[in-house]
Amino acid sequence: MKLPLFLRDTSLNWILRILVGGAFIVAGVLKIASPDKFAGDISNYRLLPHILINLVAILLPWVEVVAGFVVIIGPWVRAGAVVILAMTVMFFTVITSALARGLNIECGCFGTVGGKHIGLVNLAIDSTLLCLSALLVRRSKD
Amino acid sequence: MRKSVERGLIIILAGIVLGTVGNLASPRGISFITPPKQIPKAEEYLSLEKAKSFWESGTSVFLDAREPEDYKAGHIGNALNLPVMAFEKHFGEVAPMLTPESKIVVYCDRTECELSHQLASQLKQTGYTNIHMLFNGWTAWREAGLPTAQGSTP
Repeated sequence: MKLPLFLRDTSLNWILRILVGGAFIVAGVLKIASPDKFAGDISNYRLLPHILINLVAILLPWVEVVAGFVVIIGPWVRAGAVVILAMTVMFFTVITSALARGLNIECGCFGTVGGKHIGLVNLAIDSTLLCLSALLVRRSKD
Repeated sequence: MRKSVERGLIIILAGIVLGTVGNLASPRGISFITPPKQIPKAEEYLSLEKAKSFWESGTSVFLDAREPEDYKAGHIGNALNLPVMAFEKHFGEVAPMLTPESKIVVYCDRTECELSHQLASQLKQTGYTNIHMLFNGWTAWREAGLPTAQGSTP
């Protein structure tokens, strides 16, 4: 299926790359700055085995930053967008699960953007990034 | 698409390598393996016998720190649900039943459960002082054949 003309504009690619890549660089850097705080945020979701929490808190933000830079700088834009898309899907599942369980915890997503506690704003931000990264995957070449 | 997935795996690997090096080099680095949870000392807990006498006297408020679905499946008779992970959301429902001097017994389930410990800390910060924790709360209470209830209400 062909994308509508306005979605095929190459300048849109740049906007998408900066938005998606930039968001993940910011999110990753905020977490790298305080790994112990991010480990606490992950623990509050009560989804991961206790022993793995620090490992994920250390590694995940760096994957976010590397994928973000790859999307902006290239050359593997599509591959970077695929990684970001996978992460947004994972975050969507995790946030939905927390909301369904009524957990009144910090999101641990972008500092305190969207309020101190997890809510629909966080889900909306993640859904937006999910759609944008999916569009970037669709529009980019291998 | 297959090529992008393969390259994506390389990107993830690069993130893992950088993360490992970055954490080792950073002064804010943390242990790769999460340290074991700090379990409160045994003397900080209320014994089952003492909890039973508190319950029978009717002068204490029992608070279940677990999530609502666990509470619904079964809880200590007359206990109120105050899920620590949604403390602010649910505290207003429980607060009218408490006074600053209330004798409060908090519990969760299983020996490694730290929800009761977290709830006790939250309540102390809110101004309550007479707080007791029941070790291995729900399991110990149920296995002793003491009064229990089911459903969303006490």
